[in-house]
Formats: sequence, C-alpha cells, structure tokens
Amino acid sequence: MSYLEYTVKHVPTGPRKVLYLNWPLALLLAAVACIGFLMLYSVAGGTMDRWANRQMMIFSLGLVSMFVVAFVPIWFWRSVAGVAYIVSILLLLGVEFAGEVRKGAQRWIELGSFRLQPSELMKVTLIMALAAYYDWISPKKASRPLWVILPVIMILVPVYMVLRQPDLGTSILLLAVGGGLMFLAGVHWGYFTAVIASGTGLVLAVFQSRGTAWQLLQDYQYRRIDTFLDPSSDPLGAGYHITQSTIALGSGGWTGRGFMQGTQSRLNFLPEKQTDFIFTTLAEEFGFIGGVSLLLLYTLIILFCVTSAIANRDRFSSLLILGIALNFFLYFAVNMSMVMGLAPVVGVPLPLVSYGGSAMLVLMLAFGLVQSAHVHRPR
Amino acid sequence: MTRTPLRPLARILSARAAGENPNVIERENIRKRHEEMHDKMRQRAEGRLFLLGLFFFCAFVVVGGRMGALATSEPTEPRASAPGATISAARADIVDRDGRLLATNFETHALYAQPPHMVDPEAAAEKLVQIFPELKPERLIKDFTGTRKFVWIKRKISPEQMQAVHEIGDPGLLFGPRDMRLYPNGRLASHILGGASFGKEGVSAAEVIGVAGVEKQFDDYLLDPANGNRPLKLALDLPVQAAAERVLYGGMRLMNAKGATAILMDVRTGEVVSLVSLPDFDPNNRPRPLTRGDQSESPLFNRAVQGVYELGSTFKIFTAAQAIDLGIVNRNTVIDIRGPLQWGRFRIRDFRNYGKELTVENIIVKSSNIGTARLAQRIGTPRQQDFLRDLGFFKPTEFEILEASSGNPLLPRNWSELSTMTISYGHGLSASPMHLATAYAAIANGGYMVKPTILRQSGPRMGKRVLSEHSARVARQMLRKVVANGTASMGEVTGYSVGGKTGTADKPMPRGGYYEDKVIATFASIFPAHDPQYVLVVTLDEPVETSGDEPRRTAGWTAVPVAAEMIKRIAPLLGVRPGVEPAIRADITPASSN
Repeated sequence: MSYLEYTVKHVPTGPRKVLYLNWPLALLLAAVACIGFLMLYSVAGGTMDRWANRQMMIFSLGLVSMFVVAFVPIWFWRSVAGVAYIVSILLLLGVEFAGEVRKGAQRWIELGSFRLQPSELMKVTLIMALAAYYDWISPKKASRPLWVILPVIMILVPVYMVLRQPDLGTSILLLAVGGGLMFLAGVHWGYFTAVIASGTGLVLAVFQSRGTAWQLLQDYQYRRIDTFLDPSSDPLGAGYHITQSTIALGSGGWTGRGFMQGTQSRLNFLPEKQTDFIFTTLAEEFGFIGGVSLLLLYTLIILFCVTSAIANRDRFSSLLILGIALNFFLYFAVNMSMVMGLAPVVGVPLPLVSYGGSAMLVLMLAFGLVQSAHVHRPR
Repeated sequence: MTRTPLRPLARILSARAAGENPNVIERENIRKRHEEMHDKMRQRAEGRLFLLGLFFFCAFVVVGGRMGALATSEPTEPRASAPGATISAARADIVDRDGRLLATNFETHALYAQPPHMVDPEAAAEKLVQIFPELKPERLIKDFTGTRKFVWIKRKISPEQMQAVHEIGDPGLLFGPRDMRLYPNGRLASHILGGASFGKEGVSAAEVIGVAGVEKQFDDYLLDPANGNRPLKLALDLPVQAAAERVLYGGMRLMNAKGATAILMDVRTGEVVSLVSLPDFDPNNRPRPLTRGDQSESPLFNRAVQGVYELGSTFKIFTAAQAIDLGIVNRNTVIDIRGPLQWGRFRIRDFRNYGKELTVENIIVKSSNIGTARLAQRIGTPRQQDFLRDLGFFKPTEFEILEASSGNPLLPRNWSELSTMTISYGHGLSASPMHLATAYAAIANGGYMVKPTILRQSGPRMGKRVLSEHSARVARQMLRKVVANGTASMGEVTGYSVGGKTGTADKPMPRGGYYEDKVIATFASIFPAHDPQYVLVVTLDEPVETSGDEPRRTAGWTAVPVAAEMIKRIAPLLGVRPGVEPAIRADITPASSN
C-alpha cells in the first residue's frame, strides 16, 4: 500500500479526468509527430503513400492508447508491473525461439498482421517493475547489498536476452535506463562508481581481446566501433552512413535547403533514411535552426515530465515518470549523436519521428503511463 | 545523530499531571520524524535529479554544438554508392554512336605520408608547402610529428608536382596510382555524362564512381570487370551535339534567355542523338550543388529531363490528333471559336481574335485556345486522360540518366472539365521537354510510342500504337502548315520541310499565379515533315527578343528561329538529304470553301 491509496478521494473520476490530463505534454508529442509526418512525406519524394500515411495511422492508434492508459488509475499499473515485466521476458524468450530474422537480427514476433518488437516493450515494463520495486521496499533498504542484487538481476536478464538477438543498441539503452532509475531511487554512490570502474575495465578487455581466440564481440561490432572512432577510414563501407549524414547536415547550413529540397530525399544516398537516419533529412532541409527546434521540442517534453515527477508525491509515480523521461532522452540523444558522428551507429530510432510501428506505439503507451500518474497524483 | 525521543519523559509527566493523553505527544513526534525523513529523502532525490539534469544539459550542449559545427562546415556533393567488396580502378570508357571518346581514364598519382618513416618531418613539411601553397604548414607538421601512421596529403597531383616531391627525397613521402576520370570534350554533353568522383580509396588504387548522369546510371556496367572494359556506347552524336550546343548557346544569348534546352530524338528508335541543357558545367570539375535557393538555377540542373514546365500550345496537336483519331472531327470540321469562352469564373481567351469560326486545321495553324478547348470538351476528360497517359505524360520518362527519374510531371490534383479544357492547350499540366519530344516522336513515326534512350540501338523499337496511321499523317500535315503559313513561319528551312508547333506559357510564380513578363517558349518540331526522321524540341526559359519596338516573348519569335538555325546546322551532319516536299494529295487537301 503506497501513500497514494490513502488519498484516493481527491483524485478526479470519470470523464472529468480529461481536464486533468497533462495537455501541454500531449500537444508537444503531437507536434513532434507532425514533424515526423512531414519528414516522411519529404523522404518518400513527396508522397504520403510510402510511409507517412501508415505512420499517421500508427500515431493515431498510439494517441488513443495513450488516453486509454491515462484513464486507468496508476495504482492499477503499479499492481500489474510485475506481471507486465514477466510477460515481456516471456515475449523476449519467444523471439529467441520463434522470432523472425530481419537484417541479420532476430527481433520481431509476428502477431497476426502486426509485428511486435518485444525489446521495445521491455524498456517500459522494466521501468515499471523497477519503480514498483522501489516503491515497495522502504527507502532505507534501497542501498543494502541484498536489496540491490534483485533489481540488478531484473535489469541484466533482459539486457542479456536482447544482446543475444543481437541488438547492442537496445541492450545498452536498457542498461542505462535501469541504472539511471536505480540512481534516482537513491541507491548508494558506491555501487555506481564500482560498476563504472569495472565497466571501463571491461571495455579495455574487449579491445584487448580483439583478434584473439577469446574475442568478446562480433566482428561487425568492432568495425562499428572503429568507424565511430574514425569514420573517414572507410567512407564507403561501414562509415558510409556517418559520412553521408554529416555531409547532409553540413549542406543544410543554418537555414537548410528548404522543404523537399534535400538531396537525401531526392536521390537515394542513405539507406535507412526513413528510420534511424531521418534526422539527416530534417537537418538538411531545415538546417541548424530546424534541428535545434526539434531538440528544443524534445527538451520541453522532458521538462514537462520532470516537473510532473517532482510535483508528484507518490514514489512509484515519480520514479515511473522519471524513468520514462530518461528513456525518451536516451532515445533521441543517442540517435542524434549517432547521426552526427558523436556515437557509434547503433539502431536507435529518433522517437516519434522515425518510421516504425513498435517503437512509436510503445512510446505512446509509456506516455500514457506518465499521463495516468499525472491525473491520479495525490493532491 | 541525536534523536528526539518519541515519548520524552518530562513532557509526558507534565501532560499526565494536566490530565491529557500522552499518546497524542507520541503520535505527534512520530509524524514529525516521518516528515523529517521524507524531507531528507526528497533532498537527496532532488540532488540526484539535479545531477542527472546536469548530464542532460551537457548532452544537449554537445549535440547542439556539434550541429552548429556541422552547419558551418563546407558542404560537398553527396556520393551515392553501395558499399562494395574490392576496389577496382578499372572503369570502362564512354563513347558516342560512332565510337568517339566521351569519357576515359587518365592516370595520376596521390600523395601520402607515413610519418614513422620520415627522416626530417619539419623540413619535408616546409618543402611540401612550397610545392602546394594551399597546404597549411602547421597542420602538416602536426600530422607528421603526431602519432598517426598514415596521412593523406593530396589526392591528385600532376607529374611536375610528383617530380618536385621526389626531389624532397624523404622516404616517408609516398605515391599511390590514381585513375582519374577525364572528359576530353570539356563541357560538351555535360548533362548526359554527369561526372565521377573517387569512391572507395585505398593506398594503391581508388575506385572511380559516377555521381550523376550516365556515369551514375550505368555505374555497375562501367565498373563490372566482366564487361572486359568494353566502352559504353551512347546514342549521342558528338558533332551534332557540338553544333546544337553552339547554336543553342548563341540563341540563348540572342534571346536574352536565362536557360535553354534542346532535345534531338530519332523518331523510330527513341535514340537521343543530342541533348543540351544550358547553363552547363564542366564534368571534369563538377561544381558544388547549391546550398540555398532553387536547385533549378544550378548549372547541374538538367532542364531537358528534370525541368517540368507547362509546355503551352505545343499540346494542341495532341488534342487535334485525338479528336481526329476518335472520328469526332476531321481536319475540315468547322468549330465555333467565338470568345471569350466562359467557364465558371474562368475565361479562355485567344492571343488574337480569329473571327467566329475556324476549321480544325486552322485552329492548330493559328493556335486558337478556344477552338482547342472546344475540341477537348467533345473528347471528354476520361478519354483525354487515357491518351495523355498513353503518351507518357503521367510518369517520369524512362530515359536512362539518374536525373530523369526526378522529372515527375505535375498533374492537376482534381481533373475537372476546366482542367481538361486548359490542358488541351497545354496549361495546367507540367511535363519535361523529354516528355514532349517522346510524344511528338509518336506523331512523327506514324503513331507508335517509343522509349527515349541514351544507348545506341540497333534498329527501330516502336512500342504501343497510340494513333492511327491516318490521324498521325493528318497531324503531321497540320504541323507542316504551322511552319509553312502559321505561327512558326520563321521555322522554315529550305529543303528540310520542317513541321512543328509553338508554345508560349507564362511561368508560374512560386506562390501561385503567373508572371506577366516571364515565359517558357517551346518549339516542338519534326523534320522532314513528309517522312519525319527526327524530333527537335527547343525550349527557352524567359526569352525576350528586343529587336522590335516592343519586347517579343512568344515562341514564334524566340524558340522557332533558334530551332530553325539548329536544323540548318545539324540536318547535314545527320545525313538528312534536302529535297523537294511532295505535294499533299488532292483528296486530303482542305476543300476551298465550306
């Protein structure tokens, strides 16, 4: 029983909940999604049929599910957190055995006509489970070794399973989100410094192991790291993406070439231009100003989440919101840095803008949870 | 840590003495302690949140800063190529229809350094700067003395420069062979050829990959060692191309146009024998794409295939030909052309008043908008759409250069009856000059569609029939009359019986509406009209002919004389023999009165 349930009587009920939703947040999400439609229209060479229409459909579906989730009381979501986590783990197991292999990775499950990417779902359910866990135990216990081990296992199990797919990007995000949530929940400093220190050791080990019999990563992963460190070493091979996208960003200049004028959309220079590298088109067509505006919209979304979390006196709610905000932040920060050649190429979409059903839908569900926490906050 | 006891004895005793319940005091203390704890947790959480916020902020600054840095960086043209396995420096030549060289390879060297092997890096850097003044000495010294094991210095150097570097005599300065693409004819056929640049680079070889035009389109063929370095044979005729460029350039200057394009197509094979788009560029030194403004202003822009324009009255012949083909009218049917033709709020006018009525033939010869619109009304929207679709106006042409696929025709969003009427005389539908040339080829060759191609063909490649033999012949005779005694009288070239149709369309403004004083003037011609072998489309962008009292912009004064001059120059090169035009047979000459 959390603090929340004692104060239920002040929480709005029925249709009146609509008035208590975090509307600015919902509008910001819609604004970013609209930028996405525009870019997909442009990347497809001026037609809606290729990507934009489907993306709009998915976004509408996402918006509806966001409201549905928002209307369900947050204590319900807390009570199903554990179950949701276990279901996601089972789905990940399902991918392992029955998943579909695409582009060299096994990530999808067919569900009728819909393809689900359980690793996307995992991000949200992990956040829910960790928030519920730290709500359940007393804050005093949070730093005790025994109570630290359990969440670490909760994080590492899905990380390992996603890593096996193999999807390095998502597993790193899961690790970062989980760790960030533990940090916010007040786990002692010592643990984090220890982990970071041993992590650095591990990275060194990974590099040392290259080319030996006990090589720790796949060759392609090494190559990606190499290209990240020096993209010009292989401008037409693995560094192709980064070189092309930095060229495109450069050619956008301050104000861009103008809508539909990007070379990326007119000529097919970039593979994945509609998914992970869509930011390139935006930056090329709307320049620095366009890119920074999108960054600003993202920042505003984060700010609205964080203020909502600080104002929320329920521990589960505030941890949940912060976790989702952190997840969202990591998405776009990693994507943008990747496109700009600040990070290695890992498959992370630009949230709400990149073409793709699973990620968009899960993100909207997550923001539904944020809305629910906001509506049902103790007053 | 000192704690207030939950049941402080002194207070309890005094409370007891006063007869109050001591449990109240305990509860109050418990509450206080809880609040304290809560506050402490909050503080700690907020501290951590602040830290995380700081991290967020740093990330924003880094991402934003990088974005700014990239925004200010110099743009280069994106290179398109899929990652391949090995570097192959061999690239086949490109030749014209008679085997004349259009593009070949030329061996140069690249200069690089291996700093660990250098004897005296600083002296070497200094001497290098004397040879290549554009290099920065500090930068070189930093590269040479740093930890790098390999440094590119120059990608292409001349033999003299290479000798000078040899004379430095530093063992750490090395050369790698580089095949460079060379276009010996300079600007000639630049839009067809496109250009090439280095792709994958290794020390001992670099791949030359196409960036535009034929070089890009046939990249796979040109690079494929399986083709044994056999040259790629184009349909282009170099002397004809040179003459056409010369004439078009002169015409563009004379008519004060800002751009021009000409397409010469063989009507039976679809071969494009010459294609000119001005302004042009030197493919040996391809300019950078524009970073701002309209891409169509760039010399890289290929007006012949990428530019889509309303082609104006050149479309009228399609309407007339279709009406005859469908049996709705014959060439002598009289059409009411009293104007203006009111349609809703829209009025269709003629350039001049041509009286009350005209025969179908005279509608074309005099170029009456109203008459053509009346014909289109009788044809009807669905049939007009079918015909224009057959003629290829609904999708980009299949011409084999990369840029052609972006020449998407602009069709009306809502094809109303009014659209049908305006499209019948070439307004409301924009297409590239290549589309127009292809459609005229169908009229010229007796009614068959051809596919425009840049590759040399071995024989006729006529596709689907779109017009009957008879209607195509009547259309050709009408085109001949336009030149013989109609709007294109300046197009007459003795001996070659030119036929054609003019078109002058106002240029649309970027924000809707049309300019009063900016036009696209087009002359689509066939020659010789009685047995056409070639289609020539000449389009001038914003021409003004100023020799008269007032500026003249219509195609009859601008595009037609340029086309006539061009035919005069190229027809002998093409081997078209001048001759006397056979008289039109009596049974199909217009009856003198009806």
